[in-house]
Amino acid sequence: MFSRKRWKEAGTAYTLLSPTLFVLLLFVIGPILFAIYLSFHKVQLLGTASFQFVGFDNFTRILDDTRAKIALWNTVKYVVIVVPTQTMLALVLAATLNAGLKGEKFFRIVYFLPTLTSSAVLTLIFMWMYNQNGLVNHVLEFFGLPTYNWLGDPSVALNAIMIMNIWSTAPFFMVIYLAALQDIPDSLYEAAELDGANAWHKFWYVTVPYLKPVTSFVVIMGLIGTFQLFDQSYIFSGGSGGPNNATLTVVLLIYQYAFKSLGTMGYAAALAFALAIVILLATWLQRKFSKEESLY
Amino acid sequence: MMNKKTWFAIGMSTMLFGSVLAGCGGEEKTAKNENKGETKEEQVEVTLAGWGGNPMEQKLLKQTLDEFEKKYPNIKVKHEVISDQYMDVIKTRLIGGEGPDVFYLDAFEAPAMIETGVLEPLDDYVTDDFDIDDFEKPLLDAFKGPDGKIYGFPKDYSTLALFYNKKMFAEAGLDVPKTWDELREAAKKLTKGTEVYGFGVAPELARLYYIAESKGGKVVTDNKASFADPKVVEALQPIVDMRLKDKSAAQPNEVGAGWGGEMFGQQKAAMVIEGNWAIPFLQETFPNTEFGTAEVPTIDGKKGTMAYTVAYVMNKDSQKKEAAWKLISFLTGKEGMKIWTSKGFALPTRKSIASELGYDKDELRAALVAGAPYATVWQNGTNLPIIMNNFNNQFVSAFLGEQPLDEALKKAQDIANKEIEAK
Repeated sequence: MFSRKRWKEAGTAYTLLSPTLFVLLLFVIGPILFAIYLSFHKVQLLGTASFQFVGFDNFTRILDDTRAKIALWNTVKYVVIVVPTQTMLALVLAATLNAGLKGEKFFRIVYFLPTLTSSAVLTLIFMWMYNQNGLVNHVLEFFGLPTYNWLGDPSVALNAIMIMNIWSTAPFFMVIYLAALQDIPDSLYEAAELDGANAWHKFWYVTVPYLKPVTSFVVIMGLIGTFQLFDQSYIFSGGSGGPNNATLTVVLLIYQYAFKSLGTMGYAAALAFALAIVILLATWLQRKFSKEESLY
Repeated sequence: MMNKKTWFAIGMSTMLFGSVLAGCGGEEKTAKNENKGETKEEQVEVTLAGWGGNPMEQKLLKQTLDEFEKKYPNIKVKHEVISDQYMDVIKTRLIGGEGPDVFYLDAFEAPAMIETGVLEPLDDYVTDDFDIDDFEKPLLDAFKGPDGKIYGFPKDYSTLALFYNKKMFAEAGLDVPKTWDELREAAKKLTKGTEVYGFGVAPELARLYYIAESKGGKVVTDNKASFADPKVVEALQPIVDMRLKDKSAAQPNEVGAGWGGEMFGQQKAAMVIEGNWAIPFLQETFPNTEFGTAEVPTIDGKKGTMAYTVAYVMNKDSQKKEAAWKLISFLTGKEGMKIWTSKGFALPTRKSIASELGYDKDELRAALVAGAPYATVWQNGTNLPIIMNNFNNQFVSAFLGEQPLDEALKKAQDIANKEIEAK
């Protein structure tokens, strides 16, 4: 079917692609396949490495694992609160920064700064502010509001991480929204004005619908990012997921099983695989829900 | 956040590349030494891995290693400091076949590591000279495998003692408590609202183990959790009551401190139960906090405390076992241990060294040394990490008053045992 010339062209193309393909196979495809392989085995890597095929045992074990349930519950709670909040906040920030205020550029930079900070540094700084005698409690006290033991009280520890993450990720999505906002033709707003729309109407009936594909993208990226919450809760709890499992997330649990306890690498891989399916489902649901067929 | 995989790939390749470079460097050095022709024997380089300590400790170790190299000129020690996530790094390196020849191992992690068979049994290397009976027995036993072989020699240890603030005690006109009942009463008197707590508690199994077992209950039975035993609950209840009923105890993060020593140093707790490590910390960071130490108060007339110990162990896959043993035997031998423990950052595990250095008469360290004979070594089977994790999680919630202690411990025990059974 293919002529010699086309074969030759394809050959050249693949030769040129080979470095990338090699890296992809070695570092992306390979590990994924190996993780799937691991998830069906009982693995002991230390000493004499052993791989014992156990079928679906690792997966059925998840159903019976109380800590896995707690981790999933914490993660879902985190996703359900953080994703909508950061999306809305990003949209509002973008809209205000696109309204033609004075000093707009300056504020764009200021708002974007948190995103540039490494999450580890950010967490350490926030832990310092969340300290019992820290800034956050002083501010709350000043306004006569109740203070909390943000780091040690199981009922508020996860909220502390939520606040921190919304603050640091919203600006990133704000930039995406800003770019999309520049694309909305002025004629739409003019037409709306002629129809007697006020600022709110314009925002709700023109801006929001026009940004729907971007919102869809932002929500999917947000879902994936929040389901993978790890570094913040790891630093926050020193790797334990405490106090009282309050900051235990699925990825943190995977880490604990993979590296903290010996011989549970297979189970950790099964958990990781299950998490991938959960994210896939959530993304699929989101797309069904928003009925957005275009673009992403 | 977005490109974790890419970063991971870059990280991995850098590491691989780095190790290639490191490999080259090592060979070069040995080659140079050979050229100089310093010794007739073949030059060997032994890798020693451990976690970092404070600057003084690092200096002491350096001094000890220098002595070793002087004594064995053909052996060069390459000291590697793993500053964070020590066990993760060691395990990964052992799996990859890149493990160090000699490394630190905490007694807490020892049973699981011995079980995997990555450690070299050391019995065959031991000579009479080494004087194995000189070691404190419970500390040495911590590194014995189920086969009765010794897999490591303890380099030092620390016990827990009661640290009390001298000024606060003088102001309140109190004597140093000898029993837990006295401690509880003293804590009430020393508490000043939420400014100063009488007693700073670390709500962790590692610190509470001996208290938990003080009424005859067992925390671990047959390598499974058994701390929901009413006797264990009864033993731990006073700690919870001190916080919830007396309001005379708190954990460090409730006053904005990172750990007990800091809480005590900031004068937010009049008493804490800490180890050897707190002494230099307090002297350096909080020179204005005058403190004394005493043996941990007795429970029902019985003495109790914890002992934490770390050993030097040998990698089974090491290519330089002879040299590695020489290093271990020097470091844990009389000569090396004397240098290493000479400043009192850690206590010597050899009885002869302990009496030679006179720590049993030291004002601050006597209480810690006195604890050694009756201390519970922080170790119990291969499943202790799982048991500890679940205990800590639920105990904190009981300590904060979210649920009654017996329910919390029952829940923690069930989860821990389920996890153990699934293994």
